[in-house]
Amino acid sequence: MDRLTSWIARAVFVFLYLPIAALIVYSFNSSEVSYRFDGFTFRWYAELFADRMLLEALRTSAVVGLIAALLATVIGFLTAFALVRFRVKGRAFFVGAILIPLIVPEIVLGVSLLTVFSTAGIPTGLLTLVLGHVVITLPLATLVLMGAMSSLDPSLSEAATDLGASPWVTFRRVLFPLLRPSILAAFLLSFTTSFSNIVISTFTAGVGTTTLPLRIYSTLRTGLTPELNALGTLLVVATLGVILAVGVSQMRRILAGPTTTP
Amino acid sequence: MNASRSARRGRIAPSAAGCLMLLPALAVIVLLVIVPMLVIARDSFAISDPLGGNLGGFTLDNYAKLIDPVYLKTLGYSLGMALLNAVVCTVVGYIVAYYIATRRASLQPVLLVLVIIPFLTDFLVRTFAWITLLGSGGPFISLLRAFGVDAQSLVPSQLAVTLSLLYAFLPVAVFPIYASMRSIDPSLKEAAADLGAGWWQTHARVFLPLSASGLASAVMLTFVPTLGVFVIPVLLGGGKDPLVGNLIVTLFTEFRNEPLGAALSMVVLILMLASVAGAGLLLRNGARRNRATRTGAAATGAARTTATRKAA
Repeated sequence: MDRLTSWIARAVFVFLYLPIAALIVYSFNSSEVSYRFDGFTFRWYAELFADRMLLEALRTSAVVGLIAALLATVIGFLTAFALVRFRVKGRAFFVGAILIPLIVPEIVLGVSLLTVFSTAGIPTGLLTLVLGHVVITLPLATLVLMGAMSSLDPSLSEAATDLGASPWVTFRRVLFPLLRPSILAAFLLSFTTSFSNIVISTFTAGVGTTTLPLRIYSTLRTGLTPELNALGTLLVVATLGVILAVGVSQMRRILAGPTTTP
Repeated sequence: MNASRSARRGRIAPSAAGCLMLLPALAVIVLLVIVPMLVIARDSFAISDPLGGNLGGFTLDNYAKLIDPVYLKTLGYSLGMALLNAVVCTVVGYIVAYYIATRRASLQPVLLVLVIIPFLTDFLVRTFAWITLLGSGGPFISLLRAFGVDAQSLVPSQLAVTLSLLYAFLPVAVFPIYASMRSIDPSLKEAAADLGAGWWQTHARVFLPLSASGLASAVMLTFVPTLGVFVIPVLLGGGKDPLVGNLIVTLFTEFRNEPLGAALSMVVLILMLASVAGAGLLLRNGARRNRATRTGAAATGAARTTATRKAA
């Protein structure tokens, strides 16, 4: 049985990379229609960089992702810091509240946000997109940072205080350097989540603030183009870049918890 | 055990600063999550005018309309698909997590990162890659033809929807199961074998109960987002067999019937909360059994047993 499950697991790894491999191979396909493989070309990459609407959507996604990830990381840091370091009344309740966006289907969050924005007379656009993305990235950033902070030895900051460091100096010289990799990880995880979000964006984007996934989706409804394969390939490469930037071990800790056995 | 005590150690009394730090998150949760959901709860009882406007007031009409077979069929189909996908993701995720957790220590991070790469790849890219893979003239169809099978494009098809749902959410299931499995003492496997347990017994009585919390998270984390999916049925299912997500989007954006859409959203929300509560209940029972199992596995040492007894 162990051999059988091992083979299933190996087959799953193949399954995980088959679509990505097809995407990459077909992005160099010289055939107009993605029907068959005709030969090798860089043409679609060139067309990609000439597509003004796609580039505009890319810019919107980058701007929204950067602002939302920055806000989520800062707010998440403050929240994690307060929850881990202070004795807060109703702590469990607060942690639960932070996790709501993870257990409510995104589509319900999306329609309710849209309803509130339209009731309050806030026009959909960059602002509403950023707010929507903060909602879904905040729980992730907070969880990553809470995990990192609670695995820090509290005696480190006690030692700093004993040595005469003010709270601010303790934070700047001790806590911040130790937490820097986790802060970067929280930021990049928030950014990628925001960047590839489609459900919340469908409801919170306005005219003129089309994000990249929304643009891709509307293009796809008329059919898959080789240009999209080229774009997908670049996004896969960018994902690899993000994982390398965060660091493999850091990534593993975020997604599967700390390495030490409890 | 001591984990909670040591976590509490070094925690200082709340100050004004501490409370201020929680304010931004509180504002986000209240203003952008709780208030919107209350508004949609209220809207679900509002009277809609024939042009799709929201007239306010109170009526149960919207919920009554949802009893229409068309809506019930979609809701049932979505719940079935979401449950099927959650179960398949969790079973396959369990196998993959077990495989990773039983590799040698240096190989484990590499395998986990191999799971992370597709997970962090853009959701839509992951989805449309299946169009290339299964579409007419794509590698899969070409391969079938080479073997003499007269195959047509598999997009759109039910199979394409099912496969891409599994593909989209499988990594989400692997992480929590792996996390809970990694803390299982590997000597338990040997102990079970020494006591004459076969493969099934080792899993059913040792590994499954001990990774129950990871399995429950995996089910939740795949069930909830599958219920909200609306892109996959459109792109890979050709718009046939819509999921409830498609219906909500259509009600809000095309039919502009906000009260009806709000009512449908509330139904999905309530179903979701019920399943979260159910999973929580199962998990608590699982944890109780879990402790019993650990205590039972006394072969692994008295230290563990005393520790668990203390915790219980």
